[in-house]
Amino acid sequence: MGSRAALLLRATPPLFSFRKSAYPKALVQNKRFYTVKSSLDPPDVARLAETARISLTPQQVEEFGPKIRQVVDWFGQLQAVDLQSIEPALRADTEGDNLRNDVPEIFDNRDAIIAAVPTYEDSYIKVPKVLNKE
Amino acid sequence: MLSSAQTPRLLRSPTTTTTTLKCFHSSPIPTSASTPPPPSQILTTRKSLLSRQTSAVDLAKSFLHRLRRHEPQLSSFLHVSPDETVLKQAEELDNKIKNNEEVGPLAGVLVGVKDNICTYDMPSTAGSRLLENYRPPFDATVVRKLRERGAIVVGKTNLDEFGMGSTTEGSAYQVTANPWDLARVPGGSSGGSASAVSARQCMVALGSDTGGSVRQPASFCGVVGLKPTYGRVSRYGLVAYASSLDVIGCFGSSVADAGILLHTVSGHDKFDATSSKREVPNYASQFVPIDYLESKPLKGLRVGVIRETFEDGVDSEVISTVRDAVSHLEELGCTVSEVSLPSYSLGLPAYYILASSESSSNLSRYDGVRYGNQVFGDELNSLYGDSRAQGFGSEVKMRILMGTYALSAGYYDAYYKRAQQVRTIIRNSFKDALDKNDILISPAAPSVAYKIGEKKNDPLAMYAGDIMTVNVNLAGLPALVLPCGFVEGGSAGLPVGFQMIGAAFDEEKLLKIGHIFEQTLQGYSFVPPLVADEWTC
Repeated sequence: MGSRAALLLRATPPLFSFRKSAYPKALVQNKRFYTVKSSLDPPDVARLAETARISLTPQQVEEFGPKIRQVVDWFGQLQAVDLQSIEPALRADTEGDNLRNDVPEIFDNRDAIIAAVPTYEDSYIKVPKVLNKE
Repeated sequence: MLSSAQTPRLLRSPTTTTTTLKCFHSSPIPTSASTPPPPSQILTTRKSLLSRQTSAVDLAKSFLHRLRRHEPQLSSFLHVSPDETVLKQAEELDNKIKNNEEVGPLAGVLVGVKDNICTYDMPSTAGSRLLENYRPPFDATVVRKLRERGAIVVGKTNLDEFGMGSTTEGSAYQVTANPWDLARVPGGSSGGSASAVSARQCMVALGSDTGGSVRQPASFCGVVGLKPTYGRVSRYGLVAYASSLDVIGCFGSSVADAGILLHTVSGHDKFDATSSKREVPNYASQFVPIDYLESKPLKGLRVGVIRETFEDGVDSEVISTVRDAVSHLEELGCTVSEVSLPSYSLGLPAYYILASSESSSNLSRYDGVRYGNQVFGDELNSLYGDSRAQGFGSEVKMRILMGTYALSAGYYDAYYKRAQQVRTIIRNSFKDALDKNDILISPAAPSVAYKIGEKKNDPLAMYAGDIMTVNVNLAGLPALVLPCGFVEGGSAGLPVGFQMIGAAFDEEKLLKIGHIFEQTLQGYSFVPPLVADEWTC
């Protein structure tokens, strides 16, 4: 598992860099040749993957790109609709804004929660170090 | 078995509403087209157990036998409860009955539960590798309610990963087959539950419906699927996909079973802030025995047929079968008119924007730290990135990425906010239509079950199939799908379901109409050929 992760790190640009120049040139070039009906920039799949914390290989970025763009273009039809003065609906509003009292209760199966933790070292959930961004 | 739609005959001669033990034996008794379907497996079970005609253990053995017999072909289940566990629960029930102790209304009823609903004693994977072997520390409220009333959970059914999909091909584990034609999909995302009920591997099942995931598979598999009003059933313990759209729904082989199951799981839950405090009516009391019906039992009921759902893109045979169902309703006394729902077609992109966006937020909890499969890395962000990359399937990744896009700064207004505005339009247009009509009708899906693999690489083609169902989720309304006929295909035809949509919290009306429709529909048997020789009701 560790070696595969290392492979991903080598093959993709550093996950923390937000500067466009850090991305492989191929991705930047694609943008120029892509026409969209929407006035917005088309999805930058590599950057979205970074935001969503999903490691994608460049091949996967290539694969997902057209599919995502196709769906997003389809989403674009909403921009042509006149929605002036229409209130956005958070949800169906059928009922039920029932908050319970803010009183803590003890959950009776703490052991099962701890048993589910992948890397647990008595009273600590163990994770790797957080890399400091420059 | 009929493979072409026939004009249903109405109100056959009065027949007994009690069913006999024939249902539970595996000796072959030939099915005849005039044998009425049972009003309810749940009620029949209760009656047989209390009158000592059968035991819970025998019943469980019979179902487990059939379940295991067909599982290799169907793959409806991701986990099946060990025989010992099921039989032990059945035995305890039998002892209680022997001692004349009270047993719950669902005593001895064998239930399948979709694997995105948490069960304390069985894995709950949501169809994902990320949650492989995950054991929740609690039962979902709906599961707790079922168990408290005597039901036995026989297994966890297969689904598209995290509920994202319409075929069950999106499961990380297996593809479920349609009992009517093993080369076809059962629908999704609750395909395993639909298939299990259709093949009589369990009596009833729970599923979840975010954009049609109970109703479309019900149609594809020829069973009853009920989507309740948003807030009617607690979502506590349902793995969240899109929190403003998700509901838990019911599958049954009859309207009565779906209704009784709904009654069992409905109600306010302090652990779900979106659950309604509204009283739960006794849904089980809607089912008038057919002998007591007048000749026009639905007289005065106004039915609105949604024009936009009968247009281009819908299979012509599906249209004609559903129109036959509408004629049947007319014969029962309904007044039928056509309604048009403005902006109907905008619902589909709006739904996918909202669902992807909400799912990108809901699925951010799967970081590999506190539960699920972890890919350890040398720093935290690669633990997140790699655990998620390896744990999630490609459809899930796509939707998370699309959702991330739609919610990004600068894009939120263009996509998410606009989708919410479309939601308002759709909600209002349903409300207007339901002010003038008691129920609205549409097909449940634009086609019958298609072949496995057919839509796999074309996301938009798959999404298009949800056109009949998503608007109902956007509006939060209840809907009932029940089988009304067949289209040619498979060895005995492929079932077609039609959808009835009601006003918020009006499940009673849907169930009442559905039950009468079902009991008066002549000439069809919705038991798949696969199990027909061992199932006589």
